[in-house]
Amino acid sequence: MTVDASPETATPVVSLRQVRKVYAGADGPRTALADITFDVARGEFACVVGPSGAGKTTLLRCLAGLTPPTSGEALFEGAPLRSVPDGIGVVFQDYGRSLFPWLTVARNVELPLRVRGVQRAARAARVAEMLGSVGLADAGAQYSWQLSGGMQQRVAIARALAYRPDLLLMDEPFASVDAQTRFELEDLILRVRDEFGVTVVFVTHDIDEAIYLADRIVVLSRSPGRVAEIVAVTLPRPRDQIATKADEAFARYREHLLGLVMSRR
Amino acid sequence: MTARVLRPWLLRLGVLAAALGLWQGLSAAGVIRSDEFPSMTQTASALWDQASTATLWSATGQTLEGWAIGLAIGAAAALVTGTLIALNQFAYRSVIGVIEFFKAIPVIAILPIGLVLWGATLTMKFALVAFAVFWPLVIQVCYGVRSLDPVVRDTATVLRLRGLRRFVTVIVPSAAPFVATGLRVAAAVALVVDIITELIGGGTGIGERILLAENAGPAAYPVMYAYIVAAGVLGVLLAGAFTVAERYALHWHESQRVAVDLYPERTRVTAIAVLSPGSPLPQANRPGAEPGVALRRLVPRLVAVVGGVEVALLPAAVVDPEGGVGPVGDRARPRGAVLIA
Amino acid sequence: MTGPARAELSSSLEHLLAGYAIAAVSGIGLGAALWSMRYAREATAPYLYFLYVLPAPVLVPAAMTLFGIGFTMKVVLIAFAAVWPTLLNTVDGMRGVDTVKLDTSRALGLSRARNVFQVVLPAAAPQIVAGLRNSLQVAIILMVVSEWEASSDGIGFYLSNAQQSFDYVGMWSGIIVLAIIGIVANLLFVAAENRALHWHYGQRAVQEVSR
Repeated sequence: MTVDASPETATPVVSLRQVRKVYAGADGPRTALADITFDVARGEFACVVGPSGAGKTTLLRCLAGLTPPTSGEALFEGAPLRSVPDGIGVVFQDYGRSLFPWLTVARNVELPLRVRGVQRAARAARVAEMLGSVGLADAGAQYSWQLSGGMQQRVAIARALAYRPDLLLMDEPFASVDAQTRFELEDLILRVRDEFGVTVVFVTHDIDEAIYLADRIVVLSRSPGRVAEIVAVTLPRPRDQIATKADEAFARYREHLLGLVMSRR
Repeated sequence: MTARVLRPWLLRLGVLAAALGLWQGLSAAGVIRSDEFPSMTQTASALWDQASTATLWSATGQTLEGWAIGLAIGAAAALVTGTLIALNQFAYRSVIGVIEFFKAIPVIAILPIGLVLWGATLTMKFALVAFAVFWPLVIQVCYGVRSLDPVVRDTATVLRLRGLRRFVTVIVPSAAPFVATGLRVAAAVALVVDIITELIGGGTGIGERILLAENAGPAAYPVMYAYIVAAGVLGVLLAGAFTVAERYALHWHESQRVAVDLYPERTRVTAIAVLSPGSPLPQANRPGAEPGVALRRLVPRLVAVVGGVEVALLPAAVVDPEGGVGPVGDRARPRGAVLIA
Repeated sequence: MTGPARAELSSSLEHLLAGYAIAAVSGIGLGAALWSMRYAREATAPYLYFLYVLPAPVLVPAAMTLFGIGFTMKVVLIAFAAVWPTLLNTVDGMRGVDTVKLDTSRALGLSRARNVFQVVLPAAAPQIVAGLRNSLQVAIILMVVSEWEASSDGIGFYLSNAQQSFDYVGMWSGIIVLAIIGIVANLLFVAAENRALHWHYGQRAVQEVSR
């Protein structure tokens, strides 16, 4: 499914303007984000990368409405974020702690649908559909802790997308799985993005992953975080783990981005 | 002291003052009948009277006598027995059922036996306290000794630690947190049983004083409530003493918990840190380390001096082979990284 | 042999069940309420702790002066003594719920009520159950102690009489009945716990294996 995304005419799904976030730390105020400004257009796959401590997770929490910015504007669908809006899904890094161990896989995925008043038959159908999309059609009756790490993260993705949010936020979701599984999950998220037409903001510390997945990459500077650069990735779609990464352009992006992220600035 | 620390305490003092004031108000207004329940001022002055004469202190001493002796005997027996059982797989399996069985019996069932055997004596008191303390504590000690991390155990074997040295440097610190918790709970149980022996066994102490005051009629009720308060204060002091002692003895274990932003470590790894003389502890959240990662219970425990180099075991930490700290993938958990600091 | 002792059993169990039920429900209810009211919680914390470490049997004589020696006295006493472990463990358990779960709950759009009942309480359940177990032990002790002094029924009363009149057979039968109460209560509790918290123990078993 192709998504029509023309940033100049349509309202961006996400819009950040001079967002600043200051925490009260143990040794005084700590500025996690200094000045973040960027937009994400509908249907776009945006990755956020940066060195450790740049405030990537803080940024994601501001985008989700979990934390208000200290100053500046964070807009979702043109409206300021006051709390977590209905059209957002979040996948956390730590799936083991995010999934509810007292619920089966199916019930975990079903939960946001119950919250939104979906009737039982429709819920069951949607849960089956979501689990099918992430390749876990037969795992519904199991508990998440009985599954492997990769499978647990698939459950988390299914749950986050169950209610068809407009925006999917992912905080280093594949950092806790091994490399092989990570490639499978990367392809999964691209497939799922195409299937449901959702806009994705994907935080990662892995440059290769960012280049592989993204339409655009937002590079944050060292702490306190600023937008160092926004890199448009024009590698052809659909992406392929072998062909895309063998492309010369991939290596050039890599060189450029590593230079940015690892610099002393 | 900053305002932040003071504010909750001001609030608490306020609550206390309000509660005491309400009590006194209700008594003065007759809502609380004076022949049933003394007023706040009456209780307070009774408490003062008892405290300024020898009675409160001798009663406390008598209570503490039974408590201390019983706790000491029961704890010593539990530590020795628990350790011996836990170290021997056969012993453990044959005995654990029996111990669990006895633990489920309410200790108060044994009270009549104690009374018959020893009458209303100090022996009765500390015997019952010791009995009550023993069963749950022996299970706890067993559990603590058996909970030795298999990687720590293997490391100790590799370092050729045997016998008493192995016991003292590896098993004892590993079991210490469990034993400390068990002792704290045992102290509380001991106090309850001790008081019971005074209330219904004829023992001497705070419980006895309460009983005497109750029997003496409404005029003595303020004294009764004064001693109830005293019993509560004693409970708080003993619990507090054990908590402080635990924190001091286990400073290497508990206090090193580094709380973090949002997402603390998710895997447990046992690592061996080889510390060169004078090198500092591996630090969590060094500049450049991924923020949001904590070292839970990261504490070096000196295990041995091997060839002039200090070797320490880190019971649980998230470390990577480069000596940095960071999240570790669930498949990529190193089972014993070696850091060179 | 246990005949006369068994007759007292039903009175004792009535006291125990009534008192414990009140303590369990109030403990969890008040605990949840305190969890949600930060200032009330911080202000009352030391006093709740005081009541928790107070050796509950000291309240028996006072309860007798206030409530006499009947059913009410025992139930009030058992409930009052047994509520604190559950209450404190409920507050503690709820406060200690993983922040990632709370964030997830917000991200999924759960309302405040749903969050409490469908996320916070289940997540806190293991600790709440530990508190309930502690409360049960306290309740059994208070059941016996409250029946021991001037009472007219119950195992405590029975044992008190037997011991004072040197009726050794009666004493042993009372002890056995009491022991059975303790053991059966423990077994029932463990069985209920394993069912209700099967997910917790299952999860821990998996984590242990992967250590």
